[in-house]
Amino acid sequence: MTAAARPDLALKLAGGARYGTDLDRPGMLWAALVPSPVAHGRVRSVDLAPARRRPGVVAIDADDLPGLLPGGGGDADRPIFPANEIAYRNQPLAAVAAPTLAEARRAAAAVRIDVAPLPALIDLETAFPEWPGSEAARSPHVIAHVHARHGDLADAFRTADRVVEETYRTSGVHQVPLEPHACVASVADGRWRVETSTQSPFGVREDVASLLGIPEADVVVEGAWVGGGFGGKGSSLLEPYALLLSRAAERPVRLALDYRQEFELGRTTLPSVIRLTTAVRDGRIVARRVRLLLDVGSSLPGRDFATGYSIGFLLGPYRAPAFEVEGYGVRTNKPPFGPHRAPFAPQCAFAVESHLDEVARAVGRDPVAFRAEHLWHDGDTTPFGQRVGPFGAAAALEQARATAERWRAAAPPGHGVGIGIGFWSTNTGAGGEVRLVLSPTGLTIVQGEREIGSGSVLRGLAAVAERALGLPPDRVRVEYLGTADAPFDSGVFGSRTVGAMGRAIVEASAALRATLAERLGSAGPIRLDLADGELVAVGPDTRRPVRELLAPAERSAGIVATGRHFAKPNAIDEGRVVTGEFYAFTDFTGSVHVAEVAVDRETGAVRVERYAAFQDVGTVVDRATAQAQVEGGIAMGLGIALTEEAVWSEEGRLLNPHLLDYRIPTLGEVPVPDVTFVEGFAGAGPFGAKGLGEPPIVPVPAAVAAAVRDASGAHVTELPLSAERVARALKLL
Amino acid sequence: MTPSPTGLRVNGRDAALDGMPDDERLLDTLRWRLGLKGTKEGCRTGDCGACTVLVDGASTLSCLTLTREVEGGEITTIDGDSEDPELRRVRAAFADAGALQCGYCTPGFVLALAGLLKERGRAAPVEELLDGLQGNLCRCTGYAAIVRAVALAREAPT
Amino acid sequence: MSPFELLTPETVDEAIAELRSADDPRPAVLAGGTDLLLDIEDGRTAPARVVSLRRLPWRTLDWVGGALSVGSTLSLRSLEADPAVRERLPGLWEAIHAVGSVALRHRATLGGNLGRAAPASDLVPMLLALDAEVELVGPGGVRRTPVDAFVRASRRTALGPAELIRGIRIPEARPSAYRWQRVRPANDISQIAVAAAFSPSRRSWSVAVGGMPPRPILLPEVARDLGPGAPNEPARRSACARASREVAIAADQRASEEYRRRLIGTLLDRAIRAVTIAGEGRP
Repeated sequence: MTAAARPDLALKLAGGARYGTDLDRPGMLWAALVPSPVAHGRVRSVDLAPARRRPGVVAIDADDLPGLLPGGGGDADRPIFPANEIAYRNQPLAAVAAPTLAEARRAAAAVRIDVAPLPALIDLETAFPEWPGSEAARSPHVIAHVHARHGDLADAFRTADRVVEETYRTSGVHQVPLEPHACVASVADGRWRVETSTQSPFGVREDVASLLGIPEADVVVEGAWVGGGFGGKGSSLLEPYALLLSRAAERPVRLALDYRQEFELGRTTLPSVIRLTTAVRDGRIVARRVRLLLDVGSSLPGRDFATGYSIGFLLGPYRAPAFEVEGYGVRTNKPPFGPHRAPFAPQCAFAVESHLDEVARAVGRDPVAFRAEHLWHDGDTTPFGQRVGPFGAAAALEQARATAERWRAAAPPGHGVGIGIGFWSTNTGAGGEVRLVLSPTGLTIVQGEREIGSGSVLRGLAAVAERALGLPPDRVRVEYLGTADAPFDSGVFGSRTVGAMGRAIVEASAALRATLAERLGSAGPIRLDLADGELVAVGPDTRRPVRELLAPAERSAGIVATGRHFAKPNAIDEGRVVTGEFYAFTDFTGSVHVAEVAVDRETGAVRVERYAAFQDVGTVVDRATAQAQVEGGIAMGLGIALTEEAVWSEEGRLLNPHLLDYRIPTLGEVPVPDVTFVEGFAGAGPFGAKGLGEPPIVPVPAAVAAAVRDASGAHVTELPLSAERVARALKLL
Repeated sequence: MTPSPTGLRVNGRDAALDGMPDDERLLDTLRWRLGLKGTKEGCRTGDCGACTVLVDGASTLSCLTLTREVEGGEITTIDGDSEDPELRRVRAAFADAGALQCGYCTPGFVLALAGLLKERGRAAPVEELLDGLQGNLCRCTGYAAIVRAVALAREAPT
Repeated sequence: MSPFELLTPETVDEAIAELRSADDPRPAVLAGGTDLLLDIEDGRTAPARVVSLRRLPWRTLDWVGGALSVGSTLSLRSLEADPAVRERLPGLWEAIHAVGSVALRHRATLGGNLGRAAPASDLVPMLLALDAEVELVGPGGVRRTPVDAFVRASRRTALGPAELIRGIRIPEARPSAYRWQRVRPANDISQIAVAAAFSPSRRSWSVAVGGMPPRPILLPEVARDLGPGAPNEPARRSACARASREVAIAADQRASEEYRRRLIGTLLDRAIRAVTIAGEGRP
């Protein structure tokens, strides 16, 4: 059987896919947001009159919400328009709609804004010029404090042969889907309907309902084709504004960000400072202390998920008998922190791997051998007291070391080879349901996730069904429906689609087999076969065409079976938690990467020459899709490693909101990698599969940093490893 | 057939531009005046290549081009089922290599590569073709599948 | 409603007449438009009238007695595609190739790049090192001015109120090289760029540096240090050290002052070596 092609190839290659930015409705108005001119301040007044005087313009601000919303308002903590305090620059203070985009922009510019500026906190280090002590938890800037410990830390540090302490810094990075956020809303007859470019139609429905204070049942979200998400399109951003304008105008309203706004308003990974301390005795790690200052932007107290989640990755997949982790979420005047493919894990892996490399050198050990000795194996315990499940990192590392040795032996002068180990956990905790419909000629998977590009929906889910039912690829089709018609589904994030929705498909497939067995009068296992273009149910001693097994009511559609997957999250040992919320892992995915780089010893410029990935995957569900995820993750990771860096002014203005100077890699900077899958270490997904959307990005900055150090001796402790930073580490400046 | 000097020919068909304002970009003309949404709007600053189309066979950033400036020209976009030989060749190569994920950069990549093949020929070194695609950004594929598609587009028989 | 009126004169005289008849401020002049349209879109400029040069007969490329004349509206891509340009002015080819993408270079022009006088232009440093002249046409006829006198500051030129850039003349074929450093190698703006060229007729070097505000500049003392032929290593080192030491450097978001200083010497060294190696040790 040849590999199945993506079913969206032909459509997309003929320009036929309609993305959020392509949406159009008869009589539609175009919308624009009115941005705050300051990063922090108080709203004195918003005067919409000059905008409203323009022909065909509808304008709304905070004063209009009670009249527009049946419940009179929504979430007081997350106001649509800030009634008083402005939290970040460009925060929408009002919104307008007009017959053309140019008119909408002119109307937005005509709105008179009066704000009283307040001092803004932009750089988190200005809040803590010294590394914070225990008083930090009481700082007005700290909105989250997490702290956990285990073992006799004091004794371990007192009796250590060697203690190494280092500080790492990471920069803000954007997701950069090529398609900016865009939606079209139409509110009529009490239905709040929006079509949008989103990773999670049901997530947007929930968000919109809570933000506007309306029942979920009154909200309908349809997913458009999505021009990339990478975490940036996981929750609502524009939909509430478009819906409110549509309700006010009584017409459909289109709201799309231009690319500058995509940079300025998107929620993404913000800067951090990481301090790592490691104690070694007799060549073994005896204690680790990790501390994190994380910029969480204008996230809300109590809603900061980033700090506790991120810090789980700062110990890395390594054993330590005693440890302490402490993290502070620092509120700054930037848009709230948001997820970016494997949120903050590449930054954590960069710090952890580079640091352990430094520790190994300090005690005269080979860095890779040192890491290998401490790597988790099945049955180990995580620092948070969870049992480690099947984990392929050590097996992947063994292969990676062989490749690295080969490359290093052949490397010309100025080249270096590095290995990075990444750890990630599929998020199968978020649940969902699917409906399978078996007709005499094929199977349809009816579900509520829009394909965002990775192929996990259109190919991943289809491949699970093919395998679960023994069907050829051309007989399985994935159908997307909006929230009004589809079974509930959490959406595309956390590498969960194949892991969680695949489990739901396996469950539905079992139900389908049971139905077929019953109708076939067969007790044994049922498989499906193809004869003369028609599906046939085959039992141990009998076979009949599916056509003959349909009940009368099923003749037009087919046999329906449903499956669901709502996993109970694993537990951590709460006895180790001092304060705050930490999160348990669902499964354990290792990614081991080898990078060969050339470092220009005069300028510090780094060029990635060769790249190899050894990916722990449990089971490969669809090879082409899996390989594409690894290739794409590596390129995105190379951006974090080398060129991507959001820069803000002291006043909170983003200084590089353009694709010219926010530099994602081009074709010339990314070598075609060698990709090897390491199978056999089962994850939580169907057939033991592990999610693959996020893991491949995790070890990239670590692998590149190790290679740069190998090539040049430069030990760079800040991301990205720009040529100028490498030049400084090489003492060229 | 000679295109009308006050209009465009788009994918082999005449397109009227009555009442079009002078400042309209080719990107907006294609997408919103002619309804040809296959051409994608990305950055609108000439930095991503998603809006690349062919103007008289030459790859062009439609976001940085006034429609009036290319009046009388032949425009080729991704939309529909083109007879253009290079476009067909590149489409087939992208399909065979599976060289897309979200697909938003795809129209720009396909037209940029088709333009390079027209300009430089299939015998152009692969390095030159790859170098000529550095103005097209892709965030999904890591470019690996696109590199494979470029090789296929050069090698496949006519 | 368009924010500007687009004028497409058929002749040079008509174009000049449009510029003369206009009220203040002067209409914007559109060659390829790849830079002007960005400024209009972002509101940095809002001309009421835009004069397009597309119908003027200036998409030309001529070699006359070893000199290259380029019409101001010839696309950069056409210039890049000319085999003689690559062979006789390798530094110019490298500089053109460094500009934007293929699709951008299909519309962008040499005249437009000069007229817009972007501080980080990749073409101006090379034109300086090649002693290029700008041909201007206006109500009083044609005049020629060196690029060094034409580009005055960031976004400022010596163009008269009703003048247009008709073409650019490069007096002779020169072994030359253009070396630049960027955060991202492709599709980025240079942090520092160095253009070096050797004049066989004058037996002297020209060196220019760009990539930072306010404008690219010639380094005559550095060129003198290099002497009348292929410099020996001490001469080369001393010239590079002087360049690093003496150039006034601005820091901005793309690079710090000290990094730029470092880069100037390194890139100059590489450019000179590229020229001497291409000329087999005797430029």
